[in-house]
Amino acid sequence: MSLTRRGFLFVLGAGAGVTFSPVLWKLTDDVSIWTQNWSWIPRLQYGALAKKPGLSKAFGGGAPVQVLTVAGRPAEALGNPDHPLSQGGIPAVAAPEVQMLYKEARVKGPMKKVGDGKFEPIAWEDAEAMLAAKLKEAGAATAMITGDVNGTTAEVFSGLLKGLGSSDVYPMPCEQQTAAKGWQDVMGGRGTPGFDIENSDCILALGADLLESWGTPVRNAKAFGRTRPTGEKPGATWIACAPLKTRTVAVADIFVAVPPGGEATFALGLANMLIAAGASTGAADFDAFKSLAAGYTPAKVQDLIGVTPEALKKVAEALRAAKKPLVVPGSAISQGGSAVAFVAGMALNLLLGNVGKPGGVRALPELPTVVSGALSRDKLLDNDLVAWLSAVESGKKAAPKLLMVYEANPRYALPAAAKLGAALDKAGFVVSFSSFMDETAAKADLIMPNPLSLERYDDLQTPYGSGFASYTLGTPVTKPVANAKSSADVLLAAAQKVGVNLGFSSFEAVLEAKMAAVEGLSGFIAGETQPWQAIAQGSAPMGAAVADGLKKGKAWASIRTVEQNGIQTGAALLAKAGFKKPAADFPLLIAPLFQLNMGTPSMAMPEYNLPTLQESEAKGAAMYVGLNAATAKAVGVSQGDTVTVSSEAGSFKARVDIDESVMPGVVAAYLGFGHTAWDKFAKGRGDNVNKALAIAEEPGTGLSTWAAVAVKIAKG
Amino acid sequence: MFLGLLFGLGFGWFVFPQLLYSEVTQPIPFNHKVHVEDAGMSCEDCHRFRDDGSYAGFPTTEDCAQCHAVATGGETPGEKAIDKFVTEYVDTGKEVVWQTYQYQPDNVYFTHSAHQHLECAQCHPDLGKSETTPVLYRNKITGYSKDTMKMWQCERCHAENGVSNACHVCHK
Repeated sequence: MSLTRRGFLFVLGAGAGVTFSPVLWKLTDDVSIWTQNWSWIPRLQYGALAKKPGLSKAFGGGAPVQVLTVAGRPAEALGNPDHPLSQGGIPAVAAPEVQMLYKEARVKGPMKKVGDGKFEPIAWEDAEAMLAAKLKEAGAATAMITGDVNGTTAEVFSGLLKGLGSSDVYPMPCEQQTAAKGWQDVMGGRGTPGFDIENSDCILALGADLLESWGTPVRNAKAFGRTRPTGEKPGATWIACAPLKTRTVAVADIFVAVPPGGEATFALGLANMLIAAGASTGAADFDAFKSLAAGYTPAKVQDLIGVTPEALKKVAEALRAAKKPLVVPGSAISQGGSAVAFVAGMALNLLLGNVGKPGGVRALPELPTVVSGALSRDKLLDNDLVAWLSAVESGKKAAPKLLMVYEANPRYALPAAAKLGAALDKAGFVVSFSSFMDETAAKADLIMPNPLSLERYDDLQTPYGSGFASYTLGTPVTKPVANAKSSADVLLAAAQKVGVNLGFSSFEAVLEAKMAAVEGLSGFIAGETQPWQAIAQGSAPMGAAVADGLKKGKAWASIRTVEQNGIQTGAALLAKAGFKKPAADFPLLIAPLFQLNMGTPSMAMPEYNLPTLQESEAKGAAMYVGLNAATAKAVGVSQGDTVTVSSEAGSFKARVDIDESVMPGVVAAYLGFGHTAWDKFAKGRGDNVNKALAIAEEPGTGLSTWAAVAVKIAKG
Repeated sequence: MFLGLLFGLGFGWFVFPQLLYSEVTQPIPFNHKVHVEDAGMSCEDCHRFRDDGSYAGFPTTEDCAQCHAVATGGETPGEKAIDKFVTEYVDTGKEVVWQTYQYQPDNVYFTHSAHQHLECAQCHPDLGKSETTPVLYRNKITGYSKDTMKMWQCERCHAENGVSNACHVCHK
């Protein structure tokens, strides 16, 4: 077929005609828009905006939140401005609560183990039947580990175990255990020590990473912020002692470098100066304490822990000059702390005369239990998981036939991971209630996923560290994204099947009873008056619709304290204490760090927080340990070297970061890395520092501690 | 050549648009005139701002069901439209997927709140007196409505009214 001249002219004309029409221009424009409209690009969902109250249990202290919803769908977790523990702030690990609903590592539904590391999905009724059968079979040989001591779920667990004839219900190691041991068992105190940071004008953080992860970090940071009004004189002096520049140290007015395990020595050095300046206390053992403190002269303190007399004097004078000084003793990682260091810090509070006063230590009452046969929180905290697992590992105690694990990841987060992991291996049948495929779930026989915080009913009773008693209700913000079922409901149903009467058939009913019990106590719904204001005024508002306020996400608060009778300084225990310099075989001390952006003992670092990592903390698959240049030179390593850090318990690998803020003889290492399960975001990034945290039984208290672990460091 | 020119122009101006756009009708025929003139409703009764300041756009099934909760059983086009709405949406609890004539892509942050001083009909078709809903012409390549406002239109209006045309004003 040939093109005629007429045909050619027609085509030419048609081409000209199309050129003078919108075809080419419109097609070019549309194609450019089309290239931006791929089907996998998520589309925004529009709708009415609302804020619903919620409660994140992503870390032990809990985080009251408000969830921004769009057309009823959760979009963002924000702080709860009405709540005294949040005041509009939110901790880093709770900020991605909404995104965590869709996390890759979520367990999508109940699963049973069918091989090493292999699972197959099963129906909830089959999983629940299997659980009931195992409970009947194990009976009194059932044990439970819970990562949540502040929720009423613990009552359901301990009530069930009591009904089965078992007392083996254990909390994951936490700060409260050290405090309870020191305050109640050693000093003869009553209640739970609380710290009225808001009303204090001089706060000494004795080892506690107060503004990062200790106790109620958001509340602590808000209190700090209020003492730093823009353009005005600071309202309080903040003093921090730590082995390196932590986030608390970074904003403190006074920083004293104290090695891990040196806190008691530092406190006794301060006591020496305060007593010399006339401080005293009416404690029955004051004379013994006075003579003990007399031995901790500034020269001796410098010899033991390297703190100069000038630094000691500066801190002592700041405490003396303050009207409402407060010492907050604690562990840098909120677990495994030394009761001796805690008692030494609390003895300082006795000397400063602040117990029961605004801005001081306040002994807080427990909230009543409502579940039949349940342990009180104090009784639960008496149970030492690490001591029990050590005994199981050595054969001194029988391994449980059935072990249930709730909101905890003991396979990853316990110290001396190899030893305690061997104890966990001995358990007959393991049920994990984890929402995520963590290290413990990955080795469990049955996984029954719990809904996430924003999908379930939960509550929060006075988190440790708070200066006031409180109660917070958590109500679901959304339906479960995964096929999850409340573990408390699962166990209440299981209790009925095995003939244990806990008095309730649903966890919602348990919480209704708890709210009714709280309503009967002296307290108020915080809002117009905040608890620290009521403490300062000495009176609290009366009368409020408690249940209604709690359901709206507000906090019930009480300024009531427990009366003390015959509190002591703990001199007899302190006399047994002494700072031990590391021996030649393990010449360094490890300073573990707990930063909430890097996750918690039960939660791997959310991928949404990865951009918050600094290059000195982790880069690619490597994590870093911090040493100062002198220490690095002494052990023969330099910047960027791959090293192995070892203790008596185990070892981990890392790369070296030369950090001059780390004191000599110390290796700083971040918790939160080295996961072997979860998902691609957490797995294989760095190593697990817990492996090298050797456990010691503290002389005088018998408490399992890992507050001052000696290590060595070698290239490779 | 002249015939070719006419053919090209005809194709470009008249045939091409027919091929480019598909015709979409609203799921329920809607009579604005009867609601405004007979029922005495105002535009804002259905096209309102939410309490949070965002623009709701279309009424929800619950809003419409305040008047149309029960089927009429009538035979007129209007009654049939009401009955379709009641049986397919009110009784089943579904939301009507009203088609938007000027849907903007997600990368454009458009807020009605900042444009409240303008008359609706300056940007939208004036439907207040219409007895039918117009056909929506959807571009088969881009997926957008033919009436979706282009960036140059936004920019011209901003420029004419002394409003900034900086990127971040519309693209957050």
